[in-house]
Amino acid sequence: MGDVADSATHTNNWAVLVSTSRFWFNYRHMANVLSMYRTVKRLGIPDSQIILMLSDDVACNPRNLFPGSVFNNADRALDLYGESVEVDYRGYEVTVENFIRLLTDRWDEDHPKSKRLMTDENSNVFIYLTGHGGEDFLKFQDAEEIASHDIADAFAQMYAKKRYNELFFMIDTCQANTMFSKFYSPNVIAVGSSELDESSYSHHSDVEIGVAVVDRFTYYTLGFMEEIDKNSTLTLQDLFDSYTFEKVHSHVGVRTDLYSRNLSEVLITDFFGNVRNLVPDDDSVTNNHENDKELKSESTLLKIAKLKHNEALIQNTTTNPQVTKSKRINTDDAIYQGAVETYNVTLVKALGIFILVAFLFLLKTMSCSKTDTLKTTDISLYDEHVAIY
Amino acid sequence: MSTITLRRLVTLSFALCYVLIGLPLWYKLTTIYRAPLPAEYIESLHTKIHEDIHLTIPVYVQSNLYQFPDVHDAIQAQADELLKSVNEEQRRVQWSLQVLPYVEGKIDAKDDYVVTLVLDESMGLTIPQFGKETIVFFNDESVLDNDLPFFAAQALIEHTFKFEWENFSNAPQKSAKTDSTFKNMAVSYDPNIHISISLLTGDSSPVAWDIDTALKEYLTPIRELLSTFVNFTVDTGIEYHNDLNLNSLVNKSSISWNDLSHTLDLSELSSVNHYQEQNSINLAIVFPSAETSSLEFANATEDNTNWKSFLVPQWGVVVINKDPLPVNAYVTHDYLASVISTFANDIFKLLGLSQSEDDLTSPLIKIDSFKRKIIIDNLEKSITTLSSLVNMTNHLQQMSIPKEVLEDVNNALKIRLQIVDLLNNPELGGDETWNEALRLSNKLVKVCERAFFHKEMVQQTFFPQEHKVAVYLPLLGPITVVTFTAFFKSLKEVLTKSKKCATKDDGKDDTTKNEELKAE
Repeated sequence: MGDVADSATHTNNWAVLVSTSRFWFNYRHMANVLSMYRTVKRLGIPDSQIILMLSDDVACNPRNLFPGSVFNNADRALDLYGESVEVDYRGYEVTVENFIRLLTDRWDEDHPKSKRLMTDENSNVFIYLTGHGGEDFLKFQDAEEIASHDIADAFAQMYAKKRYNELFFMIDTCQANTMFSKFYSPNVIAVGSSELDESSYSHHSDVEIGVAVVDRFTYYTLGFMEEIDKNSTLTLQDLFDSYTFEKVHSHVGVRTDLYSRNLSEVLITDFFGNVRNLVPDDDSVTNNHENDKELKSESTLLKIAKLKHNEALIQNTTTNPQVTKSKRINTDDAIYQGAVETYNVTLVKALGIFILVAFLFLLKTMSCSKTDTLKTTDISLYDEHVAIY
Repeated sequence: MSTITLRRLVTLSFALCYVLIGLPLWYKLTTIYRAPLPAEYIESLHTKIHEDIHLTIPVYVQSNLYQFPDVHDAIQAQADELLKSVNEEQRRVQWSLQVLPYVEGKIDAKDDYVVTLVLDESMGLTIPQFGKETIVFFNDESVLDNDLPFFAAQALIEHTFKFEWENFSNAPQKSAKTDSTFKNMAVSYDPNIHISISLLTGDSSPVAWDIDTALKEYLTPIRELLSTFVNFTVDTGIEYHNDLNLNSLVNKSSISWNDLSHTLDLSELSSVNHYQEQNSINLAIVFPSAETSSLEFANATEDNTNWKSFLVPQWGVVVINKDPLPVNAYVTHDYLASVISTFANDIFKLLGLSQSEDDLTSPLIKIDSFKRKIIIDNLEKSITTLSSLVNMTNHLQQMSIPKEVLEDVNNALKIRLQIVDLLNNPELGGDETWNEALRLSNKLVKVCERAFFHKEMVQQTFFPQEHKVAVYLPLLGPITVVTFTAFFKSLKEVLTKSKKCATKDDGKDDTTKNEELKAE
């Protein structure tokens, strides 16, 4: 692959895919996002590194003629909801606040790991947003909106904490290009479907589903992506060149002033795939194969480790059977304190005896009172009886 | 009191309440709390990072034949000179050796750095693999020429403490070539790392493996050796019907690394979400399915083994086997022993411990040096985090800064000073000191991260300044209009009335004057 591959410096890839609009007639936004999800997954980004935010559940909508399925084309050849889809944020969880929290990683301490964007300075992050928007805003759930400077500030915070190596922002909405106009953090590349005062259009409708199933910009992006394989050498420049006004019906905007690399050197798979480069492990075992079996595999490191291990074992058996390793460094304070906590045994014993005695006493008085009442009633009955008599 | 006056008083009191109580209260309750962070101190730490740190490593000198009463002082002087020779601007951290005479019984060659001077025919040095000893050979000529101290100092700095020499002094690295390939190999350091070991087979026939004993024999020692700076948790598992997409490589005898990189599909294996630790090292032992049959490339070397292992940067190791497993296979201890011990070796690379193969230093010295590097890295990382926190909060004036953040920041700065004290104190310097400093530095990083990622520091959780008026206007608007129109109305009335009174008085004055004039 030569020079093209060498310019990339990331070691892992993440994708954040967000559909922001609710209701059945916005079917296409869900389909857009699910198509992108399928593409990045096909190119090797694992589910644990994809954050999928799906604002509505069109697959299970009562109006859906094909329950449990979502299609992005009228030919319905590909069910986007068919294979395993891990939705991280669903329905009303898709909010501006959660999106910003996701980017800046500010959560409760018990927020699940699978719902967090755990990127570092080696991560290339692909962010895709689709929904209804306007000049400098994008609507979430038809109830609130995110402004372009909110996203810009979130990116700035990500950059400050080295939470990305490079960031690719793609947005398919009306007046999309305004959404990345406020960005100011380095190493961000952005592409949007339409410029200021321009609408983004849907591609086509499915008669049976009854609504539009995909947006034009996303449709042609996906069309381009289908040609891509993990070992593809096509670049972002090729992708951007593929957008024409005849296809998209709006002016696609690309922002590169924050980005240092030349677009024709940036592979599509730098953002859409997750290629792990293998390094053959030549040393250690395979080199000294002439020795006998036992020695063959043992490196000096292992020998030392074993020696130390045996020493520790001997020490432990003679002095103290407890394992003392790593207590100084890696103890979790909470667990350690929990282990130390004990009961006051005498107090527990005394309390137990007291309860036992009290119980016995109670039992006794109860049985006594029972017989007493029986007696009295008997007498009274008798008395009454006598009186009446 | 007439109704008019009462009314006026009520209006006045309303207006006064509005201005004197309402407005300050509203302002106070809607102001975003921003705790005062020690920004200047943090910035000064950030601009002159590590300026207040000077690592001292104690080294003990012993001689087995000759008695040199002042050789440690001579070596000390030479070592200081050598360390000073590096360009100060390049230097990352100040560090120095403290060369002391060997005291029998008090110093343990296993735990302390010992230099042994041995008389030999020619000059030379060796570092035994087990222990922390440096043996320097010298001859009589070198004693006469007084070369020995310089030679010993050079041996210590450029060989025993090579890691520090390269990392702290930023000395020109000889192994620059290997560095680039190994730079991105290591997973980022974390005190807790998970090791996930899985056996993958393309078929569905049952497989058993003797992983338990193999791990106990080969991984446990490594785990314990490294336990002073990283705590490993391990899980193992067998996965069926997953050969990482190897079946697409059937009948290919020679393939390039690129082909292999693009074919192997590790995405299904990254079960990062199933354990708590942030980082993980994976080992995948893959057997192709019976349909795929032999993979010709797997034993490209003339070796007898039927498997080949590949390092995957920041991920782990993939071991690809040539042949599929037979039906009802049992993977033996012998096979696993060789795989796991190779893996044990690779762990060092994946942690960033060994970078080049032809290293002279002992692994024990290397681990110590690595600990020191982590401490310095942690200090740097936490100061950068704090500095980003300050910059971010300065930049986003609308962002709240909760008290907890301030507490964490103050706590972090305190811990940092503790670490610096530990590092700078020349009387300390044993294993315990480094371990304690490391423990503190890990805590420091944690506290700083917690401060930076505080949950409340999200702009969406409160109203920005310009929204404040808009949000409160429906409530405050009507109240303001009613209160102040009434207030101004009565004010006007009072003013006009007093004016009238004044003109009346003026008239009265005039008439009295006239009367007086008349009387005259």
